[in-house]
Amino acid sequence: MILLLLKILVFPGILFLVVLSMIGEYFDRKVYAKMQNRMGPPWFQPVADFIKLLAKELIIPKNADRKIFKALPLVACSSVIIAYLYIPLWRKESIMSFNGDIIFVLYMLTIPTLTYSLAGWYSRSQYALIGSMRVLTQLFSYEVPLFMAVLAPTILASSWSFTEVINFYNAGGSLWLVNFIAFAVAIVTLQGKLEKVPFDIPEAETEIVAGSFTEYTGPLFAYFRLAMNMQTIAGASLVAAVFLPFGYGSFFIFNFIIYIIKVTFIIFLLAVIRTIFARLRTDQMLSFCWKYLAPIALVQILINVIIKAAVLK
Amino acid sequence: MKIIDKVINWARLKSPWVIHFNAGACNGCDIEVVAALTPTYDIERFGSILRGTPRHADVLLCSGPVTRQLKDRLVRIYEQMPEPKFVIAIGACACSGGAIDGCYSVVSGVDQAVPVSMYIPGCPASPDAIIDGVVKLLKSYEDSLKQADEKNENGK
Ligand code: SF4
Repeated sequence: MILLLLKILVFPGILFLVVLSMIGEYFDRKVYAKMQNRMGPPWFQPVADFIKLLAKELIIPKNADRKIFKALPLVACSSVIIAYLYIPLWRKESIMSFNGDIIFVLYMLTIPTLTYSLAGWYSRSQYALIGSMRVLTQLFSYEVPLFMAVLAPTILASSWSFTEVINFYNAGGSLWLVNFIAFAVAIVTLQGKLEKVPFDIPEAETEIVAGSFTEYTGPLFAYFRLAMNMQTIAGASLVAAVFLPFGYGSFFIFNFIIYIIKVTFIIFLLAVIRTIFARLRTDQMLSFCWKYLAPIALVQILINVIIKAAVLK
Repeated sequence: MKIIDKVINWARLKSPWVIHFNAGACNGCDIEVVAALTPTYDIERFGSILRGTPRHADVLLCSGPVTRQLKDRLVRIYEQMPEPKFVIAIGACACSGGAIDGCYSVVSGVDQAVPVSMYIPGCPASPDAIIDGVVKLLKSYEDSLKQADEKNENGK
């Protein structure tokens, strides 16, 4: 019991996730800076930002709904943490699991996006309102391709549980390479989920100030930022577990390093996409996701169904 | 100083987020501010990033003489920023009204509307000067904290 509690609170649970999310943010910003040929932030930057925001004055707008305004950042953080507890990291089992946890994790990772939208709605400010509508519009465009992409590998494995999917692909040699198309779709849609360029339409600071976080100050905004960063790590771990299911040997250190490399690789990809593209318009985003990403994900599902019927039997 | 205050002050010095506001400038200073935010000058070295909303910002980079119409808006933007906050007046106009001082539509420098912590002269102020100003502002904040600290200890 105490061991489980320690696992949830410290390693590989909440504390580990927070530390990892800070490192992830630093890495992301550093890659971004290096690609723009500049130095970038010092290593302690995410920590300094977080502490500074925590120590700032908290202003709640007069018209905002105080209780919900305060509760939303914590809901965002806790739902990401819950999702992270169900994702297997360097072992084939996660801290907690049940049959169908892939679906559960996907839904848990949707809740932060909903809280971002509600945050804009309850701050009663025009810019925040526009931002929250954009969050929802974007949610409708990337969510379906993401779900289809993540569920394609599970068709081959005939299971919706992380452990069984990983076991299946470990037994199947290099069969996981088949899912390459879905991996690409998942990376692009993850970019949309994390609201980074080119899909940073909800918080386009050149158009609508800061999107749904316009009225958030100090500690509450710090928690939202933390939730975003943790979402990056959780999303990367999810993609790593489903699409890169290798490196689950018997050595703990070895597995741990492989896990870190996988997550770093995915964050690197996200940072590269962030640097080399410019922001899309809402309609471009919608048509891109529905006209291109969703059919591509469908092709992957088709390929997997054919392989399953013809080869594996 | 307690250790927690030290940590907080360290964090404040290391992450000054800025917001830029044009209170009636001829746009010369604004272009220089925008230039200071480009990768060439890389203010992210000091932990600075440009925020779109005053609610997230620590430092208000204000350029231009304050026009009568914009005065109330400037004050409102200033009041929307959470404490602790600083204002930097950029350019000769923002410092004292500059070439436009005395015009019928102009109130004169930024300090007529909101308290200013740092003046950066120049017409327009160059990006190097702006970055230097932000760094010096942080330095002076640090010094003032130290002085206050010493006073407290001597007082005891
Ligand atoms: S200081 Fe010079 S460049 Fe700057 S706003 Fe005034 S006139 Fe324009």
